[in-house]
Amino acid sequence: MAEVNNELIEKLKQLIITRLKLADLTPDMIETDAPLFGEGLGLDSIDALELVLGLEKEFGVVIPDAEVGRKVFQSVRTMAQYVLDQKEGF
Amino acid sequence: MGRTAFCFPGQLQEKPTLKEDHPLRSDPHFKEYVERASHQTTFDLLNFSCRGEEAGFNLKLQIATYLLSMIHFYRLRAEGWVPDIIAEHSMGIYAALAASEAITFEEGLWITESVGRILEREGASSGGAMASIVGLPLGEVKKIRQELNGFHLSIANYNGSMHFVLSGEEKGVEKALDLALSRKALSATRLTFNIGLHSPSLSVLNGEILSLLKEIEVRSLKCPVLNHWTIRPLRQEEIKDFLSQEIGQPVYWDQCVEKLIQEGVDQFIEVGHGTTLTKLIRWINREVEAFSAGDRAKD
Repeated sequence: MAEVNNELIEKLKQLIITRLKLADLTPDMIETDAPLFGEGLGLDSIDALELVLGLEKEFGVVIPDAEVGRKVFQSVRTMAQYVLDQKEGF
Repeated sequence: MGRTAFCFPGQLQEKPTLKEDHPLRSDPHFKEYVERASHQTTFDLLNFSCRGEEAGFNLKLQIATYLLSMIHFYRLRAEGWVPDIIAEHSMGIYAALAASEAITFEEGLWITESVGRILEREGASSGGAMASIVGLPLGEVKKIRQELNGFHLSIANYNGSMHFVLSGEEKGVEKALDLALSRKALSATRLTFNIGLHSPSLSVLNGEILSLLKEIEVRSLKCPVLNHWTIRPLRQEEIKDFLSQEIGQPVYWDQCVEKLIQEGVDQFIEVGHGTTLTKLIRWINREVEAFSAGDRAKD
């Protein structure tokens, strides 16, 4: 399994800021392991939809259903791991 | 120069949190209108209760939503914001009308509470539920409706190309949630409502609501209000009929936003506690500016 690197983490944080129009945030303000939903960044299902589209456009990876979405959108690190896993599969 | 729309959201889905250090609590408009609402309805926003009176969760959410929208409206107005047009989603219509001065703050609050109590009673006797489905296009949602084996659900909210709300019988809603997930929805969740709002079954309440509104004198609107059902600005003389009928009709929020953009709106301000409309607008059109007054008040 490929290791998550800082460059990918940074790109994903930027993707979150851009897709969700979080103009007040900078990447270093998003914790890599903090929950994205609920207590953490406080995202919801409409935000998740934006991130699904963003991952598809920017990284070419697909979130096929709600179950995968729940696992992938736990934190920036789980998003990064999913991107790497999907890329390896090609 | 672009135009500004004030957008009044529908019922909150969870109890609003206003911790002791929340900046809104020290705002004079907050203090004044929380007190006026408490005096008129017994509703205590900070304790989310009705001082001993029976009130269900949804009714309290409806009053809280109205009250917070109006507080944010008065704050925006005091800061110099003036809308060119007002839009509204579902029960946001009551605050929208109060903001347009077609009715007073007190009348809007009274209608919110009175209609809320009718819905509460109807929900307790007839039942009903609503489901939010995110991540499926309209065609898939229509297929779900066809696969319900005898249950009939209506599409209550058209919130965007991949976001719909289904409404109707509780068992039908439960089945729809399972079907949505099996059809690969990103999210399928039940909303707090215990009634099928914005479905034709609620048309039985038209007469009762119209009769209730006899006590209200609707004044001319100081700012046009684009309604969520026919996507047209409401005329003063049709407002009572609209209020009595709209609970049995769908909310076409996606079309409202598109219409506003066609009319030159490029700045949308959500006048309420949450960010739901702001996020829906972001999905419908990324080019326009959208923000929530409630979200900004946290800073």
